[in-house]
Amino acid sequence: MLKDWNSSLFREGFKASAPSLFGMAAWGMVVGVAMIKAGLSLPQALGMTLLVFAGSAQLAALPLIVANAPIWVIFATALIVNLRFLIMSALIAPRFAHLSWMRRTLYGFLTGDISVPLFMQRFPQMWQNEAEERDQVLYLKGLILPNWFVWQAGSILGILAGSQVPMHWGLGFAGTLAILCILLPLMRNRPGFIGVLVAGVVAVAAHAMPYKLGLLLAVLIGMAVAMWVEEHFEPVTGTESTTQGANHE
Amino acid sequence: MSDIEIWMVIILLTAATVIDRSAFWVIGHHINLPKRVQEALRYAPSCALAAIVVPDFFISDNQIITSLHNPKLIAGIAAGVFYLWKKDMLLTIVFGMGIFTLVRLYF
Repeated sequence: MLKDWNSSLFREGFKASAPSLFGMAAWGMVVGVAMIKAGLSLPQALGMTLLVFAGSAQLAALPLIVANAPIWVIFATALIVNLRFLIMSALIAPRFAHLSWMRRTLYGFLTGDISVPLFMQRFPQMWQNEAEERDQVLYLKGLILPNWFVWQAGSILGILAGSQVPMHWGLGFAGTLAILCILLPLMRNRPGFIGVLVAGVVAVAAHAMPYKLGLLLAVLIGMAVAMWVEEHFEPVTGTESTTQGANHE
Repeated sequence: MSDIEIWMVIILLTAATVIDRSAFWVIGHHINLPKRVQEALRYAPSCALAAIVVPDFFISDNQIITSLHNPKLIAGIAAGVFYLWKKDMLLTIVFGMGIFTLVRLYF
């Protein structure tokens, strides 16, 4: 990582994600506190944050652990809460298909909700030569490595501070606000705007569904409606992101 | 749950993260997605972010609150407008948390 720090693309990725890191730290802290409040021991909570590294799945699993739910139910819930990553990774993973499988596993594991949109905004197109390829890998690392460190720092702080952190302060809301700031620029075109609206409404309406299926349903319906709007109401100019073969340099 | 059971849960949750986050990175190049699906995927990140934050604005303790007695909704709207004006994420987070705290304490 020290070597990467000298590259301007790594630093550019870090700078692009830097403001959101405050929100992520606060969110990590809330998840850390939640683990302790759910009755996990110190080693269990540390193990969970370092190994699982998925805030929304952890928050979904904790009440199930407290309620002594069957282990497969907890697993299924986490799998479904995280399915949005599978969908998003289909967008970003092709850029890194040439790396070793260990690197792909690691980078995939570290690439979360915020890193995918930030990456796609900076690099909407597939790389065309070795220099561009290196740039995209470094930029991704600049997004995901600091994000991991900050999340873990926040989470461990939350675990250690435990019940000292006043939950009614709503610190986790800082994470929501960070995501809001990343979301708003993605709503600039009409299909994107309507997709976000629909996904939001579905997520609220379906929030009580078992296994947190509402989250997944919201993503799928939002995507489908955005696509439908694009096909029926948009003039055929927007081939920007689909012509991945075009050389744009 | 016993200590062993909780560690089993932690291992399985780790597996759930790895499967969902890394599967496509590892085997995705063997899968040929239809063009329309690839195009639809461009909207996946924004829809996923919306599905995460919108419920946080409207739902508190499993109740949907659309009235203005909802600090997160008011702060969320204010922060959104503020961000469109200033284009500065960190300032927006600080501003939004400020509004949230004010509304929570005084309204």
